[in-house]
Amino acid sequence: MTPILQVDSVHKTYRLGKVEVPVLRGVTISVDQGEWIAILGASGSGKSTLLHLIGGLDRPDRGPNGSPGDIRYRGTPLSGMSASELDRYRSRNVGFVFQAYHLLPELTVLGNVLLGAMVRHGRVGFMTKRGEATSRAKALLDTMGLSHRLSHRPRELSGGERQRVAIARSLVNQPDLLLADEPTGNLDRTTGEAILDAITATRNPSENRTLIMVTHDEQIAARADRVVRLEDGIVTAGSTTSAEAEA
Amino acid sequence: MYQATLTRRYLTQKVMPLLAALAVALCSAMVMTVWSVMGGFLDRFIDQGRTLVGDVAIVWPNAGFAHYEDLIERLEADPEIEAAAPMIESYGLVSLPGGLKETVVIKGIEGPGFDRVTGYADTIWWKPVDEPLPRDENREDWRLAENFPEPNFLRSPESWQRDFDAGLALTETELTPDGPRDRAAIVLGIEAAGFNVRRPSGVYVPSTPLVREPDGTTRYTNNFILDEKVVLHVVPLDLDGQAVELVTRSLPVANEFATGMFEVDNRVVFVRMDALQAMLGMDEAQRISADTPFDPFATNQDGSFAMPVQLEPDPARVSHVLARGIDRDMDAQRLKEIATEVYEAFAFEHLGEVPQPGRIIITTWADQNRTFIAAVEKETALVLFIFGFVSLTAVFLVLAIFWSMVSEKTRDVGILRALGASRVGIAWLWLRYGAAIGITGCVLGMILSYMVVTNINPIHDWLGAALGLQVWDPSVYYFTEIPNHFDPVKGSIIFFGGVLASVVGALIPAVRAAWLDPVKALRFE
Repeated sequence: MTPILQVDSVHKTYRLGKVEVPVLRGVTISVDQGEWIAILGASGSGKSTLLHLIGGLDRPDRGPNGSPGDIRYRGTPLSGMSASELDRYRSRNVGFVFQAYHLLPELTVLGNVLLGAMVRHGRVGFMTKRGEATSRAKALLDTMGLSHRLSHRPRELSGGERQRVAIARSLVNQPDLLLADEPTGNLDRTTGEAILDAITATRNPSENRTLIMVTHDEQIAARADRVVRLEDGIVTAGSTTSAEAEA
Repeated sequence: MYQATLTRRYLTQKVMPLLAALAVALCSAMVMTVWSVMGGFLDRFIDQGRTLVGDVAIVWPNAGFAHYEDLIERLEADPEIEAAAPMIESYGLVSLPGGLKETVVIKGIEGPGFDRVTGYADTIWWKPVDEPLPRDENREDWRLAENFPEPNFLRSPESWQRDFDAGLALTETELTPDGPRDRAAIVLGIEAAGFNVRRPSGVYVPSTPLVREPDGTTRYTNNFILDEKVVLHVVPLDLDGQAVELVTRSLPVANEFATGMFEVDNRVVFVRMDALQAMLGMDEAQRISADTPFDPFATNQDGSFAMPVQLEPDPARVSHVLARGIDRDMDAQRLKEIATEVYEAFAFEHLGEVPQPGRIIITTWADQNRTFIAAVEKETALVLFIFGFVSLTAVFLVLAIFWSMVSEKTRDVGILRALGASRVGIAWLWLRYGAAIGITGCVLGMILSYMVVTNINPIHDWLGAALGLQVWDPSVYYFTEIPNHFDPVKGSIIFFGGVLASVVGALIPAVRAAWLDPVKALRFE
């Protein structure tokens, strides 16, 4: 079985003034289609950076020996994609859920969810698919228990409700990859559990969506199919799929 | 699509973009108002500049040219020329009642014919009027029928009509022992004699200076030039341009005229053409023929000098023939071409008797006012440039506000990039936002400007009444009302200029937003 995602010896270094801070130091991970993996690590271990690289928001650096590490999505290297191809990759294949929800305060709940569809389809495309996109957005919000909140603004919602809107937004384009960065980090335990349930519920067999979740919480990570441990930019456990491990 | 949605939301739910739109509105309204007033001012000057000069003039200064009746007939035969009239223009000195002497431009005209070409009758001031001037709210105009009788001026409504008729014909009827007798008269520019006072309403009334009597008492006297005579001094020139002798003539004042152009109203006087022709030696006469044999020794029987003289008629001459096109909006240059063609045929017919076509001066009204019009045009352009430059602040205001908003919306940019928005899409969002602010601002600005321009006179009146502020003084500007025409073409230019300025102001922040690192943008606090 071909992994949907292969992260191969990826490096990333940030520069803080004149100081170079290596964040990822040769990270290698394989992820199967439909798998839920949790990337577990302490603060500063490079989890979010890895998620941004997988999501095409950033590009990896060359390694110390000049080797160009790479991330492959269904066998296609992200490094070979142009800026517009990466934009398209993010809009069609990836859904992001952030710790801070990142909803646009000027838009309603429904508007925030539809925003992803607007970006993906463009002006003409969205006009023709407006009805379909709106139906899907409403259905997702209904699934999240927010059908009565469609015209509310984010400031009128609780933290848990906001995160559910963010999850609905990430799913509106039916992506293969759902990337969640500490989705319960700003929530209390009970609400966090509810959010995790909501995320779990998105993994229906028909869509076979892959879920990569970054967390520092062992209990949350335990709900995943596999836990990848990241320490100081190096994967210490769980880098391979079960099939690869068996092989 | 998301750009349209977010532009609408950003525009309606934030105070700062509304402030930016307000700045654009004020700037565009300011430029439009200035342009409307200054442009209207220029249009009126141009319009007034055409007064009393006709559309095109055929000119041979000083000596003048003969057979002008034939030229006029030929001009009026052209279907594109409405009317033509002769005129003599000269310079002289006028001795006014009270001893004041003024150098003046003297124009000899045939009143009715001159009126057909220049609208002279409309400029004659002392005449019966039914309605007060637009700004004469107190109805202080002496010419209004309701203001009669004025006991000190011995005038009646009927006399105003007689004064008007006398002004038009430049003829006064005098009662003599032999009965009534017509006499050539003069019509002065309303400012020439200094006998009148212009009120803020634009109305002229005779001045009433305080006079001290020999016994030490004082009293107000009424200055009214129409009951007076003036003495006109001219210097006729011979055909070589040499001064012959000073000719002086007393003329009754038939009326005064007002064009609204100070230079004209202060320096020009009209005299009946035949009188001026006679004074300048340009009237029809007999002259010694060039064929007369020169015999200085010819004597009569009584010993007196008796050189045989052959006389021939010397036709009357004028220095100008003015023509008017059938349509006021007709191209003056086209009329000039027509006049040139007509004059060529005319000169061919009178070969040797009139100036040759290549030498005669043919000018349009625009040529004659070129210096003046160019000055006002330059002034308008300068004022527009200054205000336009001031309005550039709107560009920097939009830039500053957008820069601040991009900073505020950094995280939104990161979210949009995470959702797959391209850099170009992000830049377009902000440019579109700038355009939306520009359109909103310019629409508001044009509405504001329209309201100000069309109501500028009531606003000015209110400022005068409430604050004692009189910016537009008719005694200085010579138009009683501030120009208040809102030109849609100018409005369109300013509208698109304002939108463009807003987009330019948004350009740098848009590029900045587009090049934000999405990861940093998402982490922005």
